[in-house]
Amino acid sequence: MNFLVLTGVEFKKIRRSKILLILLAATVILWIPSILNADLNFKMQAEGISPENNFLIQGFLGMTWFMYPASMVVSTVLLIQTERGNKGILKMLALPVNTLKLCLAKFLILLALGATQILMMTGMYFISAAIAAQTQHYPFILSPLFVMKEAGLVYLSSIPMLAFFWMTAVCIQTPIFSIGIGLASIVPSVLIINTKAWFCYPMSYSFYVLTSEYGKLASHILTSDIELVPWIPVAAIFTCFCLTISCLFFGQHERR
Amino acid sequence: MNIIETENLSKTYSGFTAVSNINLHIPKGTVYGFLGPNGAGKSTTMKMFLGLTKPTSGNFHINGKKYPENRVSILKETGSFIEAPAFYGNLTGKENLEIIQKILGLPKSAVSEALELVGLTEFKNRLAKKYSLGMKQRLGLAGALIGRPPILILDEPTNGLDPVGIHEIRTLIRSLPEQYDCTVLVSSHLLSEVELMADNIGILNHGHLLFEGSLAELKENAAFQGYPTDNLEDTFLAMINEDNQQRSCVK
Amino acid sequence: MSILLECKKMKKTGFYPAFIVGGILASCLPVINMAVRSEIFTGLQQPPLQILLNENWAMMAMLNILLILSGACIMYHTENAERALQKMQTLPIRESSMFFAKFILMIGMSIVVLATEAISFLFCSLHWFHTYDGLYTDLLKNFAYFFILLLPAILLSLAISSACSNMWISLGIGVVCFFAATMITSTSHFILQIFPFCLPLRILTESTEQTVIHFLVASVLELLAVGIAELSFLRIRKALV
Repeated sequence: MNFLVLTGVEFKKIRRSKILLILLAATVILWIPSILNADLNFKMQAEGISPENNFLIQGFLGMTWFMYPASMVVSTVLLIQTERGNKGILKMLALPVNTLKLCLAKFLILLALGATQILMMTGMYFISAAIAAQTQHYPFILSPLFVMKEAGLVYLSSIPMLAFFWMTAVCIQTPIFSIGIGLASIVPSVLIINTKAWFCYPMSYSFYVLTSEYGKLASHILTSDIELVPWIPVAAIFTCFCLTISCLFFGQHERR
Repeated sequence: MNIIETENLSKTYSGFTAVSNINLHIPKGTVYGFLGPNGAGKSTTMKMFLGLTKPTSGNFHINGKKYPENRVSILKETGSFIEAPAFYGNLTGKENLEIIQKILGLPKSAVSEALELVGLTEFKNRLAKKYSLGMKQRLGLAGALIGRPPILILDEPTNGLDPVGIHEIRTLIRSLPEQYDCTVLVSSHLLSEVELMADNIGILNHGHLLFEGSLAELKENAAFQGYPTDNLEDTFLAMINEDNQQRSCVK
Repeated sequence: MSILLECKKMKKTGFYPAFIVGGILASCLPVINMAVRSEIFTGLQQPPLQILLNENWAMMAMLNILLILSGACIMYHTENAERALQKMQTLPIRESSMFFAKFILMIGMSIVVLATEAISFLFCSLHWFHTYDGLYTDLLKNFAYFFILLLPAILLSLAISSACSNMWISLGIGVVCFFAATMITSTSHFILQIFPFCLPLRILTESTEQTVIHFLVASVLELLAVGIAELSFLRIRKALV
């Protein structure tokens, strides 16, 4: 079966799941405090960052440190439970579908959900920046190209994390453990980005990338630049490892 | 004396009528077969008896008690088995029954008795999610039979059982009124099955009650109306067909 | 009796191990923090317990809330997965008593978690600092405060889970609420600070006595409000089927 067709089928499976509503609610809640506290951005000029840059980065930081990873954990729960809920997985395994493709198609859905939330977040940024511009009489809106670049960086650097979440969801049958490991792994990233070994912890990648962008924009704040080596090789190996493991384990439990 | 009686009981889901003005009379101490094709409203009616769904209009009483005022005391006297069996997959069959036993305040022996009754004793320590379809069905039945309730409401209890299992369960249901002095309301879409179990039958189609009475009365009635009578399954099919035709004419 | 039943229902769902392991993990945080960089903390002037709480509690409280959210999701997931809830509805018990039994079980597990964390704080104080008069009473006071402020979050996450038959929806709502809490916890508006998922992040020593009393009162009022809301919700849902 064509991989694209399979992915289409997977998209159909999450219809009426209300997941988009949850992803949207998360982004709306993210920006409300930013709009209400828009005046605080002017105080940050002391750090050498312009108010409009600060507005963007602070919002994005809030997103990448917890909301985005947590939403992705919720999405993995959705993807797994729709299969296991009514034994849909058994039917899928009984159809002439390559399990490997099936697993990757599902991971693709997770990537798509992640992209959707990042896009929603970017869209909400423009709306809230426009509102803040009105209330503060200050041009908060940044060039779309720049905003998209930041959003793109966050997204790309989150892929290893998504692979990790997907692996825990596939391999751990007990939902409370896969959820718990996913959520609990997010919290320490605040600590880990301050260590030298940050590149060993995929859950902190997006947050680290964004913090370093923050450092570039704020002249008085020192953050370390990203060194692509050993980060990129480690991230690539980690992603491949997680995906291989999830493909190997996908459907194994049901097949026993 | 009728233990369950309904009065113009109806249930409508946003524009679709599942059950329409039915008047059932279920005598005490008998097996009442509730017959009808899929989607006729059998399950909806049974769910109303258990308070799982609320009647749109009309009312019913069970053992002299009214819903919703006496909901809890109705449920205390009623063992039920609705559609696909409902259970905790993470617990063993025995543990699932123990939960019901404790809620109903029954003695501990009730669990093993119910397991014995449905022939699950051998598998009582296996997780319920690992049960085969037939075993899940038996577990559901055990959950209904536990504590010998005076009223049993069973929705297609033989679904998914093998021929031996079907025979066993049928014989069990048939024997219940005598053994425990209880009343059984059992639904099925197979007349041949109901014929073997029930004293009285009610035939439901598209939410309407087409016939209610004993098997002998059904035969009499059918002969009178010109339906085939040598095979009851044919009688049933002819009745349903005619009703469907009338319905499409009205439309 | 229904509490024992709820305990039984949670067997083999990973509920108990999750709480125990979660509590231990959260307890490791202050120990690791002290082991890695004790020199930063031992030089501070404040009482040891206060230093430890200031440094570690925010993250530990977050882990506690996440644990409670996932626990609540699992509790109702086991009810919904194989339609056991429907069977329960045909039995002569009230759904509300089931709900409150779950609440009590959850409280029990939270006590286990908090106790583990308290032991870890005690260990850190004794090992890296010196003991002092009133350490034990301080510890007890702080953890009693944490416990009371945690209750509304437990009740609310259970209420969310009981309302959703799909686990990802209850988890999603819970996660969004938790995120909102982390966003508003630094605001100065009292009304925002008493949001149930915000309360567990509070530390006894950071507020004045007056505010502490306000938080405690708010916590009790929220318990009542969420409890009443859940009762009416269950009643309305029953009436609508």
